[in-house]
Amino acid sequence: MTTLNPLAAIPFRQRDRMTYFIFLMVPAVLYVAAYIYPTIETFRLSFFEWDGFSPPEYIGLENYWELLGEPRFRNAFFNNLKWLVFYLTLPTVTGLALALLLDAELRGSVVFRTIFFIPFTITTVAVASAWRWMYKPSNGVMTQFVEALGFDAPNWLGDPSINTYSIMGAALWAWSGFTFLIYFGGLRALPTELIEAARIDGAKFWTILFKIKLPLLWPSTIVVLGIAAVDSMKIFDLVWAMTQGGPYRSSSVLAVEMYETSFVMFKLGQGAAVAFVLLVVASIVVMPYIYHMTRQVDEVKE
Amino acid sequence: MSVTTDTHPVAASRMSGLTRKQVTRGLRYVALTLLAIVYMMPLLVVLNASLKTPADIQQVLALPTQIEWANYVAGWDRIGRSLWNSVLITGPSVVLSILIGAMAAYPLSQVRFKGDRIVFLFLLAGMLVPQQVVQIPLFMMMRALGLYNTIPGLWLVHLAFGIPFCTFFLRNFFTTIPSSMFEAAQIDGCTAFSYFWKILMPASISGIAALAIIQSRSVWNDLFFGLTLTNSPNTQPTPVALYTLIGGMEVDEGPLMAATVISIIPVMAVFLVFQKAFTRGLLGGSSK
Repeated sequence: MTTLNPLAAIPFRQRDRMTYFIFLMVPAVLYVAAYIYPTIETFRLSFFEWDGFSPPEYIGLENYWELLGEPRFRNAFFNNLKWLVFYLTLPTVTGLALALLLDAELRGSVVFRTIFFIPFTITTVAVASAWRWMYKPSNGVMTQFVEALGFDAPNWLGDPSINTYSIMGAALWAWSGFTFLIYFGGLRALPTELIEAARIDGAKFWTILFKIKLPLLWPSTIVVLGIAAVDSMKIFDLVWAMTQGGPYRSSSVLAVEMYETSFVMFKLGQGAAVAFVLLVVASIVVMPYIYHMTRQVDEVKE
Repeated sequence: MSVTTDTHPVAASRMSGLTRKQVTRGLRYVALTLLAIVYMMPLLVVLNASLKTPADIQQVLALPTQIEWANYVAGWDRIGRSLWNSVLITGPSVVLSILIGAMAAYPLSQVRFKGDRIVFLFLLAGMLVPQQVVQIPLFMMMRALGLYNTIPGLWLVHLAFGIPFCTFFLRNFFTTIPSSMFEAAQIDGCTAFSYFWKILMPASISGIAALAIIQSRSVWNDLFFGLTLTNSPNTQPTPVALYTLIGGMEVDEGPLMAATVISIIPVMAVFLVFQKAFTRGLLGGSSK
């Protein structure tokens, strides 16, 4: 510390470089073992017919052609797109609305905050269990509610034309607790002077919302949308626990197809083909997000 | 005195302004209360059902005529063991993934080196790839290693899948710690290794706490790995045990609802206790 001799620092630097190297190598090895190698292996497997026991048989693109001809596969693919649209919109808007509603000096705001947040803490399978009970034909709460309004209640989870939307209802309940919390935290961190000044200048609620609050909340929105896009691609637990993708595969998604094909029917080659398609679709969907994030890193470093 | 102020024009307009504010406030309360009822509803009906006899349970909206604790005994019997398994799976997975994530995040946040952007891209890709993509080879690897249907096998899987997010999260958090601290420590002759342990990790404790909560939730919630990598009651985590109750041929509704309540309580309790730390760490990390 007494002399700032740059040469004296060299051995330290070398040792430090060693530390950095080891620190990066441990996760890198795990990463290669858990991601890179299995991804390549999945791609290779997708050209084989294999039941997991007898030797795999090379069949070229056969698995992919077969998938294209399967209505259940196309249906799962379109359901994933529906989930994408749903995840990006409804929970985001709901969370924002809840946050705006609660963003005032209100007595008991802690109670409301906790109530809106609680569903997010619940294990996905328990969410499924609760909502299967809500959606029970003839006496579930949702069924009774719709009948009390004077309509015929649908068979929420049994009707192939609506069951995906019914599952989305459960997802909205569970997931909006998270979007709410992110937006609520974001709103609380906004500079109050700016909003007060606009209000004194006579700006209306909607003007303040769209011109001031939403642009300032953009970092929160990025987090919410990024996680939503990823979750819509990997969704499995909720669908599997609520309907197992049924009836007649109507509520299935790609992850459910992959699981069923590989681990229930033991057609591992075809399951790998589904997995690879899922990888391609997910990559396309999250590409804009990755682009945005890497650009952000450049801005920070420059 | 009150009469004179009431008739005063300025005071009168202030009065009406106040009432309008009161009206919007009142409307807020009405809307919030209605929404709170909607958000509570699923849990309330589950709790209600979990306390009912088989004769009562089909009357979904009625209160129990007599409390049926037997549901909880049966529910505990079915998933009690799995709660302990989940604790054994979640604890080490989370500690290890945070530790290794922090190791990777440290050089990524402090020093520039060749290829740092590629490392970052790989991390993002790892976070964004659905785990189903790699599941078949992973399943084969676990069997080959003798780790299929073991709790350490699940540690390894959750550790590997936790690393990208932990690294990403902590890298962001570490960059908020002033680099002057790092430079000062270097001049003092502090090695990279001791800076990490003695300064960086303790200074990041709020971020680490938030990350621990997020990771615990995602490991605890997992059904997919549990379904594919375990097959016996000695290793099954709670979501799998609860799922077997839902998916059974004959659903025993009272015990199922009691088991649902039991499975909800541990995570909810952790979240409510650490709510503040969670919110602070999450927003501190994500807004950067």
